[in-house]
Order: sequence, then C-alpha cells, then structure tokens
Amino acid sequence: MQTFSGLVSILTVFLWLGGNLVSPLRPICDLRVLDHFVREARDSEVIMRGCRGGCGVMKSYFVPLTSVDFAVWEHMDVTGQAVEVQTGLSLLDQALSNAMKTVSNSPLTSALDNNISNIHSLGQILHSLDLQQARSTVLPDDSAPASAQTQEVSSLPELLQVQSSFLRGKVRLLLSAAPACQRQNS
Amino acid sequence: MTKMRSNRLKIIFMLCLACVTTGGQHFESKVAQLLQDETEHIKCFVEGKDLTCFWEEEEERNHLHNQYTFTYSYENKNKMACAVSSLSLLASNKTIFFCKLAKTPFFTTLHVQVHRDGQKLYTRSLNAENFLFLDPPRNLTVLSSGKEGQLNVSWLPPQLKYMDDSMIYEVRYAAEGSDLGKVEVIKVSTMLVLLGLESDTRYKVWVRVKPDGVAYKGYWSAWTEPVFGVTPPSDVDPLIVLLVLSIGLILCLLSLTVILSHQKFLLKKLWPDIPTPEHKFPGLFTVYKGDFKEWMSHNNGSMWGRSVHVYTEELPSPLEVLSEVSLTSHDTSHREEVKPAEEDEEKESERSDSGLTDRWPDPPHAHWLMDQLRALQENPESHSQSSLLQSHDTYVTLNQGDIEQQADDVFEETLPLQTLFSSAGTPSLSISHSDLGSLQQSSGSGRLSSQSSLEYPNHTWPPKGPGYAYMAVADSGVSMDYSPMSSSRIAELGRHRIYTNDYKNEIFPHKWPLSGQYIKSG
Repeated sequence: MQTFSGLVSILTVFLWLGGNLVSPLRPICDLRVLDHFVREARDSEVIMRGCRGGCGVMKSYFVPLTSVDFAVWEHMDVTGQAVEVQTGLSLLDQALSNAMKTVSNSPLTSALDNNISNIHSLGQILHSLDLQQARSTVLPDDSAPASAQTQEVSSLPELLQVQSSFLRGKVRLLLSAAPACQRQNS
Repeated sequence: MTKMRSNRLKIIFMLCLACVTTGGQHFESKVAQLLQDETEHIKCFVEGKDLTCFWEEEEERNHLHNQYTFTYSYENKNKMACAVSSLSLLASNKTIFFCKLAKTPFFTTLHVQVHRDGQKLYTRSLNAENFLFLDPPRNLTVLSSGKEGQLNVSWLPPQLKYMDDSMIYEVRYAAEGSDLGKVEVIKVSTMLVLLGLESDTRYKVWVRVKPDGVAYKGYWSAWTEPVFGVTPPSDVDPLIVLLVLSIGLILCLLSLTVILSHQKFLLKKLWPDIPTPEHKFPGLFTVYKGDFKEWMSHNNGSMWGRSVHVYTEELPSPLEVLSEVSLTSHDTSHREEVKPAEEDEEKESERSDSGLTDRWPDPPHAHWLMDQLRALQENPESHSQSSLLQSHDTYVTLNQGDIEQQADDVFEETLPLQTLFSSAGTPSLSISHSDLGSLQQSSGSGRLSSQSSLEYPNHTWPPKGPGYAYMAVADSGVSMDYSPMSSSRIAELGRHRIYTNDYKNEIFPHKWPLSGQYIKSG
C-alpha cells in the first residue's frame, strides 16, 4: 500500500511536470501554411466534382457556420474567435471522418484523408498561438444537437464547400489577427 | 460664431462630395467594366466590405427602381431585402439598378434574387469573397535608383483590412512614345525595381491590383494614372576608362619600340630601294661617269668572265653545235651542217639508241651522217682523222657536267666559248670545229637553232681527262650526236641513253691531238 501510494505520487509529479514544464511551441504565424491547406481543401472539391462512382452517400453532417460579418467579427474578442474556430475544426474533423467511411473512390479518399490531417495540423498551429483553450468545448460525437454555431448539410460536396469557406474565413481571420503574431511583428 | 459653423459645414460638405465623387467615379468605372465583362444578369462585386449587385435596364423600357425588389439569403436563413437604386451611365447612356448590401456575409454562399412587379427576374448564388473589385493602388511613385537602366517603383495598397497579404500587383511600363510595354507581376510587396531599361529615357509606369486567389478572389482593378520616370544617363566607369587608356598607351609604346628596332627592315619592306646595277659594274658610274664604252674598253677582259658568270647562274646545259661537214670522202672536206629544224623534243626516253633525230625532220645529209657514224663504229681508227676533222668548220663542245668533275665543269663552262681549233685542214687538230651555236638554256624544248654566233676568245681550253664528247643537246636531255670522231664510245652511245652533254677534252696544251678521242656519254 505504501509502495502503491508512493508510485502514484511519483506519477503525479511526472504528470505535473509534463503539463507545466513543456516548452511552449514557437508561434506559427506564416499564413502560407494555411493557404496550403486552403488549396488542398479546394482540390478535394475539384475531385468531388469529377468523381464518378463510390463518391459517398447522402448523409447529414453537422458543420460549423462559416459566414463572417466583418463588423461583428471585429468586435468579437480573440477568445471568442478562437472558440468558434476550434469548435468548427472539430466538427469538420468528425464530419470528414464519417464521410470517408462511405467513400470508395481512392483519389477522393486520399484527398479527404489529407484534409483531416490538415485540420489536425491547424489544431497544432492554434496551440502554438495559445488559442487552444476552447478544445474542451468540442462536442464529442455527431449525434449531439446542433448548436447555434452549427448547420446541417446533406451531402459531401456541401461538406467540402463548408470546409473551404471555414478555412478561408474564420480560421484565417483568427490566425492573421493572433496576438502572438502581432507581438512578433511589433 | 455662426459664420464659422457654416464654413465648417461647407468644408465638410465639399469633402464628402469629393469622396462621393471619387467613389462614384470608381463605382461607375467598375460598373462600366463589369457591364462589358460579366455575362451574368446579376452582376456583383465587393467594394470595400460591401457587396453591390446590379442589373441592366431592358432596352426601351423605362422602369422605375421601385418596381424592382432585391432579396438575398444564406445559411438557411430567411430572405432579406435590399433597397434598389438606379444610376444612369453617361458614357454608355445606359441605366442600371443596383443594391448594396450593408452587412455582407463573407465565406458563405449567398442566394440573390431580383423580382419585378412580384415576378422573379434573375437569380444567382455566389460567395462574396470571390468577387472583390479593388480600387487601384495609391501613391504610385517612380524614382531613379541612380544605377544605369533601373527605376524604383513603389505604391500603396488599396485601403482594405485583412487583405494586405492576399494581393497581387501588375506593373506595366513603356518608354514614352512607344506602344510596346512590358508587364511585371509581383506578389504582396508594394515596390519593384525595373531592370534592363534604356539609359536616359523617359518611362511611363502603371500599376493595378487583384486578390491573389487563395483566400479572396476578384477582378483586376483599373490601372493607376501613369507616372513618369527618367532613367539616368549611361556613365562610364572611370576605372574602366583609366584601364583602357593605360592599355592603349602600353600598346603604343610597344609598337613604337618594335618599329624603331626594326626600322631598317620595315623601311626596306615598305619602301624598297630601287636596285641599281652599280655593284655589278664597278667604276662604271664613279670613274667613267656612265660611259659604258670606255668602261668596257678598260675592263673588257676581266669583266667578261664575271658578266658571263652573272648570267650563267646555272649550269649551262644546252649546247648547240652546228657543224658543217661535208662528208663526201676522206679527201674532201666536208661541211657538215646540221641544222636541225626547230622541233620540239619531247622526252629523253624518246631519244633512241641512235641518239639521232628520230623526230626531227631529217636534214638532207642526216642519213649520210648516220652511215658515217656507223662506219666510225666499225672502224674507229680509220676514221681517226676523218674528213670531218678536216672540215673547215669548227664546232665546239661544252661539258655538260660530269658528276665527278662538276665543279670543274662548271668553271669550264663559265669560260668563254672558244673554238678548239680554228682552221680547217689541220689534221692534227683533234677537235672538230663547228659553228658554235648559241647557248641553249631552254629547259624543255629541244630547240636547236642554227645560229652561228661565234665567240672565240683567246683562251686555252684546259685539258681534262681523256676523251671528249660533243653533241648538241637540249635541256630536255635530248642529245644529238654530231661527232664525226669515232671511238669505241660511239657504240656506247648507241646503247645508252644520251641525255647529257658530257665530255672529256683531250686537248693537249698546245696542240689539238686527234687521237684518243672518244665520246663519253653521261
């Protein structure tokens, strides 16, 4: 018993150290990375348009809202923006993963897989910019009711269009105005 | 106080008017451009942060703007209406109706519709971020960079937030007065250095802008007003000038040195002296003042050989022997006259064993001569003192040049020609006279002329080895055997190829013994 508690305390210490003493990631402020992801999302739309057979089934997907009202967006604080972006990325990740299960066309499968890995990379970028606080608010599964920040699409082409719009809009606006990058420029 | 307020209001009004006018000008130009380029009925563009959609009035219809309704929707929301306005374009004399969305949603699909009197007229679905129509860049400046053929171009991007890093520019430049222009595309950066321009030339520069197409898309903006810049004149690097001058100077000095060191040689080559024969005639011009006769009389003997030597630069090869032999009998003197016609002798191989004129037109007495020669072969001794010898004529032999005695022969041949003996009827004479033919030095034509210019200087022919041969020979190697003297060598003559005029003179110092004569053929 004493040995077991000792081990637990040691593990706790390690976890604490792992949590706090990890060196912060260098902020990734170059928007060319995001531009690269945007181009690959557009490539998926092109492949989707040219797909003939095995291109997925009609299915509902919950995806984030992509519209940006500049006047409203400018008045929103960074945290709120970050939450919206993080939530949206999580929704897209789930939707794309579900869609990929129904796709048998190999170029389309490959493109979707690429998009999913890009979304994971964006999460790392947000982490580097200290904008990852909203991760805990991600909805665990797609069966959850749609929130005010989500919408429903009924096909894969629409899903891919939402992905493109989301990356080009909210994600880009957040990254371009990230405080960590502003501090770097000034 | 009231006056000041009214003045301020006026100023603000003027500024607003200016802004509207400027914006209106841009707006109208954009509308005009899209009227030409866009094919959709509802033509939309984003100016600033607002989306403007417009459509054209149908021809010969005078609708009012309130007859039209414009609605839009996005993200499954309810339709929203937009106020319709009209605008008359002065340039094209057209009327358009337009709607400007106050709060334009970006990054989502907009569904717009136009109704007229409750009826749907046009519809369109578009994403606003794809229809940016930017204003031209501002504050275009063109400055000389100081370097040859370069101009620095810089400008400011249109005032638009969030899009500064998503713009692409196009710079057009052309020399003033020229229609041909070049275009440079540059991303994000708002300055450019034009290279490869002509020196001291005035250039016109224009710039326009467009979204780069990644996050935002749109149309090319209008060109800015042209701005002029002058390239600096070409300047020569002073270091290069100095180096060129130094090298030129060094080359000049070198050439001068060469010329001076080879002055004489060059002078001789460029301005050769006119050759004078003074050195060949010593004393002619200095002592005798050019009187050749007098000079000759004083220098006759000694100079003759030299002069002959001058002219005979090569071994005199030909010998022309003219002999006049009358060979009728032993007692009678014969005058043998061989006057070969002028014929060409071809090759020495053609000279047969007879060595006689096979190709020549036979002289009248040729056959007789042949007979005599044959007779001599048979009985050389009996003919030792043939009538030929007793002929009144003389003939002269020349040594063609035996290899062994070539030097001597040369010297011998430089000696003036002289008869070996002069009078006919001197049986002791072993050498037959003949008319001395002129020296033939033709190298190829075996011409034997029958001239008889005799030169009989009083000069003893130095005795040489035994025997002699005499014949008229041309350079071509044809030999004509005129020897009336028979010897055992005549037989050889018939056998060997005769192509040379080789002889050994058997003349004794004082007399001309007749015996022991033979022809030695080379």
